[in-house]
Amino acid sequence: MDKILRDKKAICFFIAPGIILFTLILLIPICQTFYYSFCDWDVLSSPEFVGFANFKKLFTKDKTMMIALKNSIFFMLFSAVSQQFFGLLLAVLLTNVKRGRNIFKNIYYLPCVLSSAALGLLWSFMFNQKMGFNQILDVFGISGPMWLMDTKGFIILPMWVISFVAMWQYTGQTMMLYMAQISGISESLYEASYIDGAGKFQSFKCITLPLIKPMVATTLSLNAIGSLKFFDLVYNMTAGGPNHRTDVLATHLYFEGFQYFKYGYASAIGIVLLVLCLTVTIIIKKGIKIDDYEM
Amino acid sequence: MNEIASVKKNKFKISSIIIYTFLAILVVFYVAPLLWMLFVSFKTNSEVFDSPFGLPKALQLDNYKVAWTAGKLGVATLNSVLVCIITLVISMIIGSMAAFAIGRMKWFLSEYTMVYFLMGMMIPIHCVLIPLFIKFSNYHLTNSLWGLILPYITFSLPLTIYIMAGFFKGMPQELFEAACIDGCSIYRIFFSIALPLAKTGMFVTGLMTFVSNWNELLLAMVFISDTNKKTLPVTLTYFVSPYSTNYVQMFAAIIIAILPTIVVYCLFSNQIVAGLTAGAVKG
Repeated sequence: MDKILRDKKAICFFIAPGIILFTLILLIPICQTFYYSFCDWDVLSSPEFVGFANFKKLFTKDKTMMIALKNSIFFMLFSAVSQQFFGLLLAVLLTNVKRGRNIFKNIYYLPCVLSSAALGLLWSFMFNQKMGFNQILDVFGISGPMWLMDTKGFIILPMWVISFVAMWQYTGQTMMLYMAQISGISESLYEASYIDGAGKFQSFKCITLPLIKPMVATTLSLNAIGSLKFFDLVYNMTAGGPNHRTDVLATHLYFEGFQYFKYGYASAIGIVLLVLCLTVTIIIKKGIKIDDYEM
Repeated sequence: MNEIASVKKNKFKISSIIIYTFLAILVVFYVAPLLWMLFVSFKTNSEVFDSPFGLPKALQLDNYKVAWTAGKLGVATLNSVLVCIITLVISMIIGSMAAFAIGRMKWFLSEYTMVYFLMGMMIPIHCVLIPLFIKFSNYHLTNSLWGLILPYITFSLPLTIYIMAGFFKGMPQELFEAACIDGCSIYRIFFSIALPLAKTGMFVTGLMTFVSNWNELLLAMVFISDTNKKTLPVTLTYFVSPYSTNYVQMFAAIIIAILPTIVVYCLFSNQIVAGLTAGAVKG
């Protein structure tokens, strides 16, 4: 038995296709992106090593980059806070509800599996000047704002709208994960707490919260990294407009790389994005200490 | 005593009424945009502005016909189906093979290999976009469905391997020992014993793979410029624009694009949720 499970040839056979694919499509390109980010390179020339010039330009001269960075970080913070709050709230409410729990749960989760490209288009119509929300507001005699074109303020209105849509789409995921975690907590813990005279709120604070802590780290990094990588919704709702004011890192990379064909420069944006993702993950992993409780 | 009980009951009732109202409002909030879209897709363009919230007077099925043919959604759907199915099958096979080697077989690098694969979950697809695009255009893989399938498989592998390895690890050792005594080769053990037993896992990961690849936009947009090779989200993005005025057809197009996932979700929502939770535990 042992000999069969240690069969080197078989292991190679099983593992090789995956490793080869992974190395070709992920590892080597990542290294190349890293190299290209130090190169001046567009569609007409060949890569020429220029050191940190791309990064210098990104952080000192590129106004759109500053906007994209600001928007991405705002987007990340907003998504993390709103999805954590509403996800946990819904999960707690739904675990306390007996009738219709599955229906509610499935409805709230539905947008997560739908294409954000399609939903982005749908919401861009909802926030259109002439349709959707403004039609509702018209009934009350209010003329609605230009939801997706307004440019006033530090965080402009379209960014709030997009963040709102992202919250609408992805809160269900956080809720689902919390529900799974909560349903793993043993019922007897709650019973014991009620016998000891704890109320619902107290048992939530002293039992549920500490026990779902591992899931906080998981969902938080899912929220944060998911929103840093965000492309579909932004592209389909505003396409970075008006005048690049709603660009996020992903759309900025797309425009630089595949509309202006500045490959080297776009690679540098990719590296910034990667570093940001890794930093956030590490902060979350280090920041949330997980104690081991018995469930 | 009785009084206390009834007070408690009352209190419970009020709080549950509040909870249910809140949940119901949220349901409206979630369903209304989708229903509105459905209604609009059956209206005429003038109806959209005359009676924005009413039911359509007559079902304008032509909207769908136009979207399907003029919008090229028919071709796009076919492409999407092809890409998703091929990706699904190949990533399933490659993924479970690797998962079996990692989860069940004994070799000193197995832990590291797992970490190597899981790294793929952390890396945003944007970071490999440019080198892949250059490489693929050299090998004539852009503007071809295979150019999409290869990266899709790669990005589906981490989740597949992670979930399947869990399944293989959980299988009883005796099973494999018995097979071994009966003279099964390791390949036979994998293909005719382990794989059929991990059916649930394959189903769950398959659904996750399908959904994420069906919805993928960025890669498909960059790699494919030939209209006849575009996948559904890309065609949709080009067909639908808030600045053109043929609203009803665009809404029909959006409905066509999300309908397959809605159907899949209605049929298998439990398995999708299982996949989500299984995959997220590791993060």
